[in-house]
Amino acid sequence: MNCEVCHLKELDVEHFEIREVLRCILHTIVFHRALGLIRPKDIDSELFDITYVQCGDAEVEKKIEEKIDQFIGWVEKHPNKKSQICLSFYEVKNKQATWFSNKIERLYWEQWYINLNVAQHPKAHSSKSHHSKMVVDPGESTLERGVRRATLEAALREVLLFQIIKFVNEKRDHIPPVPNHEGVSFPYEIALPSSSDSSFGMDMFKRMLQTGHPTMLS
Amino acid sequence: MIYGPGTVERDESAFQLKLMASSQSNLHSEPAKIEQIITEFFAKSLHIIIESRSLCASSRNYSGEQTLSSPSSSLSSSSGVRPRDKWFNLALRDCPEALENVDLWRQSNLEPMVVDVILIERQTGWDVNRCSPKRDLVRNLSLKERFPNCWNSGQEDYLPEIKSEKIIERWVVQYESRRSRDSSSSVSKRTGGTSSHSLYKKSLILLRSLYLTVRLLPAYKIFRELNSSGQIRSFSLAHRVCSFVEPFTRGEEAEMQKFVFMPVDISCGRLSLSVLYHPTLSTVGFEPSAPLSPQFIPDYVGSPTTDPLKRFPSPLIGLTPHGSPAFGRRHSWSYDLSKASAPSGSPSPSPSYSEPHAFPSNLSSNRLPPLSVPRHPPETPISHKNASFDEYWPSPTISSSPSPSPPTHYPGSNLPKVLLRSESAPVSIPAAKLGRSPGVPNSQIPPPSPSPKSTRTGSSQADNARAPLRFGEVQGGSTVQKTSFLGKDEAGNLSGTKMSSTSSPQISFSRSSSRLSFQDDFDDSDFCPFAVDDDDIVDPHSRAESFDGRGNLNEPFESGGLLPGKKSQDAAVGVLVHMLKTAPPLRHDFSNSIRSSQVSKPETQCKSNVQEPDKTSNSEAGAVQNALSYGNLTSSGLLMLKTTADALEELRSYKEMKKLLLSQGNGSQAVASDVPAAETVGRGSAGV
Repeated sequence: MNCEVCHLKELDVEHFEIREVLRCILHTIVFHRALGLIRPKDIDSELFDITYVQCGDAEVEKKIEEKIDQFIGWVEKHPNKKSQICLSFYEVKNKQATWFSNKIERLYWEQWYINLNVAQHPKAHSSKSHHSKMVVDPGESTLERGVRRATLEAALREVLLFQIIKFVNEKRDHIPPVPNHEGVSFPYEIALPSSSDSSFGMDMFKRMLQTGHPTMLS
Repeated sequence: MIYGPGTVERDESAFQLKLMASSQSNLHSEPAKIEQIITEFFAKSLHIIIESRSLCASSRNYSGEQTLSSPSSSLSSSSGVRPRDKWFNLALRDCPEALENVDLWRQSNLEPMVVDVILIERQTGWDVNRCSPKRDLVRNLSLKERFPNCWNSGQEDYLPEIKSEKIIERWVVQYESRRSRDSSSSVSKRTGGTSSHSLYKKSLILLRSLYLTVRLLPAYKIFRELNSSGQIRSFSLAHRVCSFVEPFTRGEEAEMQKFVFMPVDISCGRLSLSVLYHPTLSTVGFEPSAPLSPQFIPDYVGSPTTDPLKRFPSPLIGLTPHGSPAFGRRHSWSYDLSKASAPSGSPSPSPSYSEPHAFPSNLSSNRLPPLSVPRHPPETPISHKNASFDEYWPSPTISSSPSPSPPTHYPGSNLPKVLLRSESAPVSIPAAKLGRSPGVPNSQIPPPSPSPKSTRTGSSQADNARAPLRFGEVQGGSTVQKTSFLGKDEAGNLSGTKMSSTSSPQISFSRSSSRLSFQDDFDDSDFCPFAVDDDDIVDPHSRAESFDGRGNLNEPFESGGLLPGKKSQDAAVGVLVHMLKTAPPLRHDFSNSIRSSQVSKPETQCKSNVQEPDKTSNSEAGAVQNALSYGNLTSSGLLMLKTTADALEELRSYKEMKKLLLSQGNGSQAVASDVPAAETVGRGSAGV
């Protein structure tokens, strides 16, 4: 089975923006892959002037929040790194004969790579400009922050509207048959950058089952 | 309920069940299935669009109907799920309007569906009854729509109150059948039996995308805004559903962007969905208080006036203020521009910044800081790029050459016009003047708290409507600056400190203006370290500042000197000389008029030449005189250009300004409080 991969445009975010950015993106993707019956839930972003849509599934919401928490924790341990989150959709297949016992294998059919460049300091940007030399520049940073926020918001909007929506509608043939008709129909996982953390990334399905693959991300 | 025949719903659900069972048994019914899917796709699309654009529908949603059906309560319970929701596995809120339209559309047999979302601007005062009329409007439309295929009935007859309406979005849902190929290709695909299933799945995804897109487009902001605060607003949203496109004019279309969803290809045709929308609300003429506010906020924070205060609360204040304010302003402006034009694009404040640097390098940053403050007001306008402002100002080159003393005249003559005509930032200048001018009582100075307001000015410029606000804001900003001024001037210590720090500037002052420029250059070399800082920009200020410290001159200088910078000063001088030589007799009249105006209005800086000597502190009287003489010459040159009528105009404008200022300056107490603050600032700078 072919696995479609979408690399989302890298977003420059500050630490405190990670959560909202990831919420917007992850929920938007899941919403488009929740092919079962859903009652969409409109969410006005707390940080951005953006309304995104959740698929109205408490489990999904919980899982995404958990993942975001973990990711933020990871970022704190690994400051100043570009980081990637991978949201994967897969099918579960039973491999029979070749294994000692019935083993379950994940067949990934779609992966979304979310690329974030987390600025260590809010003023990281100012280093480029002369402002940084100012003795005191709280005002400057707020100004820059406003501009930067607007820029990020526009970029985020673009990712949601143009990248995700376009991808989702252009790549439709690889989607496996809908296994169930309730809510989020496909099993998925959210993998974080560090392999050690990846164990957390298992989704409920995965925890119950043994996995053939380590998580995709290194 | 809205579905007239209950049978329809049953059929749908039954059909869907079949689909989900993925039974390929009825190949015969494939075309029928496809047709039904397409029909439902249209219906769902319409529902999604209208649900997120129709104000009445949404309000109804939250109140009555939904509670009855309580769909939200439980998806799981089959009872809560209506057959309609099962289509495309997307449960939507009830939206009577949408359903009405859907019913109507069902009769139209897969014709293209065009949904125009219309922003209606009503006369103010009509809002009170808004709810009822609005619904009427909707109903009216729907009634008209009942007439087949010609739903876009004019609304004009129905709503005399409507001021204007504008189509802000046009959604087109279309099924294009390829009949030519029907015979050949379609057959094979049908035999595959997957076509209805893939169609269903693809259209399901497409509808989710639509659902999200509808919320990401700017019009959704309007919807939300009107929904929340709608009662007060003079805007409303309407929609109409047609089966054909009433084409836009080129101009209209140029304003809009198009987003085309990937069409769903089916054996017998393709299902396509696209939208034309206005990328920004400003082009629509809708100025929502809330939606726009986020855009303004950054400016607000970064506004020039605000920045200085924030930055320099500490002892550093003295130094930073000079450079920073100017700096801040420029930035803010550049930001504004960038934002206004393209929010998405990364604003590049740095470029604008870089230019200023070139000039400032000359000045010694050290000396200047405290003094620079006064200059800011004049600078702001320049940086703003306000068209009106530019017009009134003499060519930058001219102003630059005279930078030190002579410029004074310019500002005087030019400023009034600027103030009068352009209500925006430039206004601030007068306020600053007032503060300086001895004649003006402190009470006239607007109350403090300018910083926040000032920020807005930048943003406000974009909108003419806000001009009045700006005015006030600007003044506020100016007041702050003023206060610093007063503190300096009034406190002998401050002036002394300034002197010491800005020794070179003073010298230059005493000497001829031309020399000043030279000295500046020298200074630059000396002060390079500072200049490197950020503040080339500061440098120009510093010059001005030095002047300021002495007397009223500074402002005029600033106005003249800022832009001109060091560029082609010689050229500027040449221009001046030429102007003087060619000056017509008019100047006499002018000078007279100007003087009279000055006398009448001590506030204006222009007069500064006359009044300055008095005001100016002591040390520089001689220098001032020199400057004055120089200034007179320059002024005459400028004057030549103007007519007596202009002078009168200016006079009037001054008077108006004065009234305004007086009326605003009632809070004398606030002023008093300001003064001490200013002093502290000045001292702090001195100490630094």
